[in-house]
Amino acid sequence: MKGRSMATRFITDKLGRAGLAAFGLILAAALCAPTQARAASGDVQNGAKIYNKRCWWCHGKKGAADGPAATFLVPPPRDFSMGVYKYKTSAPTTPLPRDEDLFNRITNGMPGTGMPAWNDVLSDKDRWDLVAYIKSLTDLFGKEANPPALDFGKKKMGADMVEKGKKAFQDAKCFECHGQAGKGDLTKKLKEDSGIREWPRNLTKPWTFRGGNTPEDIFSRVTNGIPNTQMNSFAAATTGNGKLSEEDRWAVVNYVMSLADDSKKVKDGVTVVKGILRDALPKDENDPAWDTAPSTAYFLVPQIIQKERFFTPTNDGLKVRAFYNAKEVAFQLEWDDRTKSMPGDPVAESIAWDTLTPDAVAVQMPIGTFTGNEKPYFGHGDTSHAVSMLYWSAGTVQAPNAAKLFDYTGSGKREEVDPKTAGFATSASYKDGTWRVMMKRTLTTANKEKVTQLEPGQYIPVAFANWDGSNGEAGSKHTLTTWYWLLLMPPTGSEVVVIPVVVFFALVGGQLAAAALMKKK
Amino acid sequence: MQFLKPILAIVVAYLLIKLGVPFLGSLMHPGTWPVVPSAVMKMYMAFIILGTLLSYTYSEEGYNALIGPIVDVYSNPAKAAIKFGLVFVIGAFGAFVAYQYVKPTFDPPVELRSVHPAPPSSAELWGKSFQIQSLKNPLRDDKANFAKNVEEGGAIFFKNCFYCHGDKLDGKGHFAAGFNPLPANFTDVGTIAQLTESFVFWRVGTGGPGLPGEGTPWISAMPVWHTLLSEEELWKVIMFIYDYTGYAPRVTTEVK
Ligand code: HEC
Ligand code: HEC
Ligand code: HEC
Repeated sequence: MKGRSMATRFITDKLGRAGLAAFGLILAAALCAPTQARAASGDVQNGAKIYNKRCWWCHGKKGAADGPAATFLVPPPRDFSMGVYKYKTSAPTTPLPRDEDLFNRITNGMPGTGMPAWNDVLSDKDRWDLVAYIKSLTDLFGKEANPPALDFGKKKMGADMVEKGKKAFQDAKCFECHGQAGKGDLTKKLKEDSGIREWPRNLTKPWTFRGGNTPEDIFSRVTNGIPNTQMNSFAAATTGNGKLSEEDRWAVVNYVMSLADDSKKVKDGVTVVKGILRDALPKDENDPAWDTAPSTAYFLVPQIIQKERFFTPTNDGLKVRAFYNAKEVAFQLEWDDRTKSMPGDPVAESIAWDTLTPDAVAVQMPIGTFTGNEKPYFGHGDTSHAVSMLYWSAGTVQAPNAAKLFDYTGSGKREEVDPKTAGFATSASYKDGTWRVMMKRTLTTANKEKVTQLEPGQYIPVAFANWDGSNGEAGSKHTLTTWYWLLLMPPTGSEVVVIPVVVFFALVGGQLAAAALMKKK
Repeated sequence: MQFLKPILAIVVAYLLIKLGVPFLGSLMHPGTWPVVPSAVMKMYMAFIILGTLLSYTYSEEGYNALIGPIVDVYSNPAKAAIKFGLVFVIGAFGAFVAYQYVKPTFDPPVELRSVHPAPPSSAELWGKSFQIQSLKNPLRDDKANFAKNVEEGGAIFFKNCFYCHGDKLDGKGHFAAGFNPLPANFTDVGTIAQLTESFVFWRVGTGGPGLPGEGTPWISAMPVWHTLLSEEELWKVIMFIYDYTGYAPRVTTEVK
């Protein structure tokens, strides 16, 4: 019965999609024709109906960005009563976005924010009706026609444009906000016109671009700037005074796209930190040997599970590598962090809004030898399953780099263990918006019941936590991962080569012998 | 070309099991691709190969038709090049199969969990004992305030649940990807649509840590809501998730 209803659901679903696709095609065709904005003909009443079911929770009943969810979001929802939109492709001369801009945001959502893509639950017509409705929430748009699109000029892509763009990135001083390596490691405090704090985008993670990451999208951002933020328009006839000519804007687009670092993108299904056997462990966190180990990227999500919950994270991911030898294991933890937060550091002090606390990172594994299926609760373990935590803190300028070892039997229930008992040592450095921390410890310890015992070939649950000290993160206010796995990869035995070779020669020999026999006959 | 027939029969049978079965499965459960486990696959293939060979070599001429061309390739001096090619290919294929067997595989352990384990008969929340089986949502009787309660439930959802369960209640909130198991998708027929309100009340009230062992409480990120919300707020948010998705709570007391 259930199977049948699912099958019919499947079929109607597919038909529905095909229908939608056909509808989309017709619409696209209609759009290509030089038409007036679609929203002009949108049904405001229908838009209001959908808005009042789906959108007001964030954007507010009257569009003033004061819905119940608003205070739980960074960035906050857009205030439609102001009529200021951030991601526009209209000409730099008008403050208004094009109808297509609003439509595209509603359709595709905005990565890294609370604004989801609505194309899976709302039809094209519904989305155009919504555009008409949200435009009606301010009188800024008046009766004016859809503003003209910006001039994309002559798009140019290629290696020479990347080189050129590197220079344009300097000329336009993009680095002052986005950092020399593009990771958003700003050098000055930034705030939106509305007064709230803002962080520049990490350009090495294009999958987090909110207005899209195609060359045209980025060109639009550079040309128009991002209204309401301190990123201004860079459009000008010639390069100079922090402005860029059309060609240099395309060049900087090429450069931005060349900065993408896919190794920091979380890959579906890749959940295991694979520790590689190596006699000599890397000497520090920047040892080139690390490049030969596979890396695994994880999402960091804020602690939103237990009191005090925390909803406004800045760091979004962590990359992990590991090596081990007969005695020790070494982890390299790498994450992009816009600020080097160490109390006493002058740059960090000047950017911080709250009291500056030290950046920190932690690795958590079950205590003792992990045997069975029952893991400790992923948030600091539980009363019957303790976890061991390797904790590093940036410390202060006077006393940097503090390493600590803890046992936890639940949130807040911890006991400090002497790091020497596990030979636990750390080293760390911050460069161009990235922290790298190396943690080393022995595989096994004498106090077996106090520290995780690591055995090559065993899957051991591992979880991570991270604190950004310039974001007021301390104590239970931090980001974390759920349980993943650590596997110290056992060396592959010689049988992996020997057995296939033996099989090959046996088969060849056997066939030749059989052929000889057949010939005799 | 008689001897190609059994080979063709085996290949077709293989494809049917390898692709046909998962395809049928995907029709029954959209979005899934249930492959036949490799151990079962090997067993089926052994029977199929054996059966095909038996049926083709049953008669004398069948046997000759099958074996004739093979003997010819191996013993005919004019076909020496083909012979050596075949010898090599078969050897290499054997080595490849052997490698597949001995090469180390690194699949992390799968954690099997029962998504809807049987709830306990009673639960202790807010210092009060709740009998799960007979529990009713008291707000359902208040027909006059239905819309108001649902809207208040919505506000609770959009302060406490949406960043995991999604603005669209589809389990894709902006923090959802950081958790495993993923937050439940309420628009799917497999979650609240097949649950009673009392079961949902127990699940929301006691969260991940409230699950019995077979529900793997240690990996569920679902918070323990009785520590963060009141009893009335819980019932309201439950009414909201049913109202928004258009599902009605299951009414029988038996829980799947
Ligand atoms: C869960 C909260 C949430 C819901 C529900 C939501 N939005 Fe948003 N929306 C946001 C946030 C947050 C932003 C701002 C992102 C930013 O500033 O980068 C936003 C931005 C927007 C923008 C502005 C884009 C720009 O260029 O400035 C539009 C248009 C928009 N939303 C429309 C809608 C519509 C229409 C709906 C309902 C179908 C909706 N939103 C539902 C959270 C939400
Ligand atoms: C004054 C500081 C500042 C300068 C200078 C600056 N930006 Fe930005 N940029 C920002 C901020 C802040 C944001 C994020 C805005 C937000 O989140 O609302 C941003 C966002 C971006 C984005 C992401 C857009 C998206 O869709 O998410 C790109 C791409 C970008 N900037 C490129 C550049 C380039 C290229 C330059 C130099 C030509 C530049 N920026 C100069 C502050 C700056
Ligand atoms: C931190 C993320 C998170 C938040 C916040 C959260 N949930 Fe969950 N929830 C989950 C996860 C993960 C699951 C699936 C695992 C499980 O069954 O425990 C889940 C499961 C559920 C289920 C069980 C569905 C089923 O089919 O058994 C219900 C009901 C539920 N959540 C309701 C809520 C409500 C109501 C809220 C807000 C008051 C909420 N959740 C907030 C993560 C979350």
